[in-house]
Amino acid sequence: MEGTGPSPEPAAREPAALVEHFFRHETGRLHGALVRLMGVQNLAVAEDVAQEAMLRALRAWAMGGVPANPSGWITRVAMNLARDTMRHRRMAFGKEPALITHFEQHLATPAVAWEGAREFRDDTLRLMFVCCHPSVARDAQVVLALKILCGFSAGEIARAFLASEAAIEKQLARTKQRIAESGIGFELPEGEDLAPRLDGVLATLYLLFNEGHTASSGDRLLREDLCGEAMRLADLLVAHPAGRSPRSHALLALLCLTAARFPARVDERGGLTTLADQDRSKWDRALFERGLVHLAEAAAGSDLSEYHLEAGIAACHALAADYASTDWARILQLYDELIRLKPSPVVGLNRVVALARARGAQTGLEALEDLQGRERLDDSHLYHAVRGQLLLEAGRPAESAESFRLAHRLARVDPEREHLARRLETASLAGESAEPLVPELSPGRRSSRRA
Amino acid sequence: MDTSPSPKSQYLLFFRNSGPENYQGLSPEQRQRLVERWNAWFEGLVAQGKASEGQPLETETRVVSGPGGRRIVDGPFPEAKEAIGGYVRLEVAGLDEATEIARRHPGLEHGLVIEIRELTPHCHLGVRTRPAAGA
Repeated sequence: MEGTGPSPEPAAREPAALVEHFFRHETGRLHGALVRLMGVQNLAVAEDVAQEAMLRALRAWAMGGVPANPSGWITRVAMNLARDTMRHRRMAFGKEPALITHFEQHLATPAVAWEGAREFRDDTLRLMFVCCHPSVARDAQVVLALKILCGFSAGEIARAFLASEAAIEKQLARTKQRIAESGIGFELPEGEDLAPRLDGVLATLYLLFNEGHTASSGDRLLREDLCGEAMRLADLLVAHPAGRSPRSHALLALLCLTAARFPARVDERGGLTTLADQDRSKWDRALFERGLVHLAEAAAGSDLSEYHLEAGIAACHALAADYASTDWARILQLYDELIRLKPSPVVGLNRVVALARARGAQTGLEALEDLQGRERLDDSHLYHAVRGQLLLEAGRPAESAESFRLAHRLARVDPEREHLARRLETASLAGESAEPLVPELSPGRRSSRRA
Repeated sequence: MDTSPSPKSQYLLFFRNSGPENYQGLSPEQRQRLVERWNAWFEGLVAQGKASEGQPLETETRVVSGPGGRRIVDGPFPEAKEAIGGYVRLEVAGLDEATEIARRHPGLEHGLVIEIRELTPHCHLGVRTRPAAGA
């Protein structure tokens, strides 16, 4: 058409860059704001609206560049879509008076109200309490939290858990149905309700983190994101008066102290490294500091939870210059308390490792025989790996090799298999290996999912 | 004759089949990557002086036809695939270069269709301002 086009703005714009995971986290943020407007029973509608807003953003920003305030842009679009959707529903389904009134009142408030950081924080926290409601099974909570709070797609969740996308979709639909039917409110729990509901949230975040860091299956990078998400949500939790309990601080401390060791978990060739031979200079000191700060906060009051104990154990490792100078006696003491609070064969197995380090391989082997619920560990490669190591140290290389062989057969992840193959070789060489090489059994290591 | 330096031609790239349904199946992370790659494609061209402008178009549309504009139809239309979702104006040596640029577009793997049209040097403003044009 004309050669001197009137286009006023293009070409001159400074495209803004999107922060990492922007779309993902923004989806979670929108869900909070939208559920507040539409009510918990309309969670699925809120998801559709958020999804549509994200698609519009994708289209507009791909062709037109990212706006200066992407979050504000997308919130505006989502709120308009929500209003249209609710009007449409009112016409289509007759009157839902309470809902509509609720909704219109919210729309009458100025836009800044829901763009404010505080509102967002509150909404996300409320949504966290919804997703972790006791009426929903724990496994389902983790999946729902990933979808609703963290903005993962069903496909991503499926990849992280080596499940089929259809199975995840089905589970999500069921969970949402259940939430819609159970009449969960969007208020923050108060008074006597708060503590048990908060425990539910903490348990889910703990499980989410463990799903990410137990390398039992799935896409490794995605699984690391799960750990990051658990930490992000725990951060939100302790930043809020309703979520700021010593227990919450203890959980966040545990997550920070555990994640701080991640950079050293694999060596240059991608092989698994044990706590004993990790290059501790690779540990994330800043994360350790954060963990220790939260551990100090967690000490306020008299509450002593499993998170306190596990964080305490992680702190012992963080503070040790190397494996040999680790305060094993203190770790053993913490495990003794932990096993009282939360008896489980896996905690017991971890305790045996600490015991063997504190009092010698022979003592460890004896404790291994007496382990509560030992029969449940028969199929665990960790059990056989620990046994193999202790037998090797106790000077029984033939039996040790047998245990490592069994562990190798039971291990499912390649790096673990390789590691165990190397241990098997060492044991088979029958020489006395004085190196204290024990597979890292971090305290959180237990959950296993079959989705 | 025009004495301006090396005759570059102008092209419009029209983007079709760019509706939201194409991106429905992408995860948030994939969407974000697509936005980033798409912008990088465009910014790279701007930096080289090969693209001068580009913009998305709203999907709502109105079509006017008939003598006196008697027929006015509101869109969007059922054939969303055909709708133009946006455009980019290129200034390059020729159709081959414009084609190469279009072929590098990250949206293609998600169904985007790009039509390349050259802007003719003639236009009704040009007719008035460039006396040499007619011959």
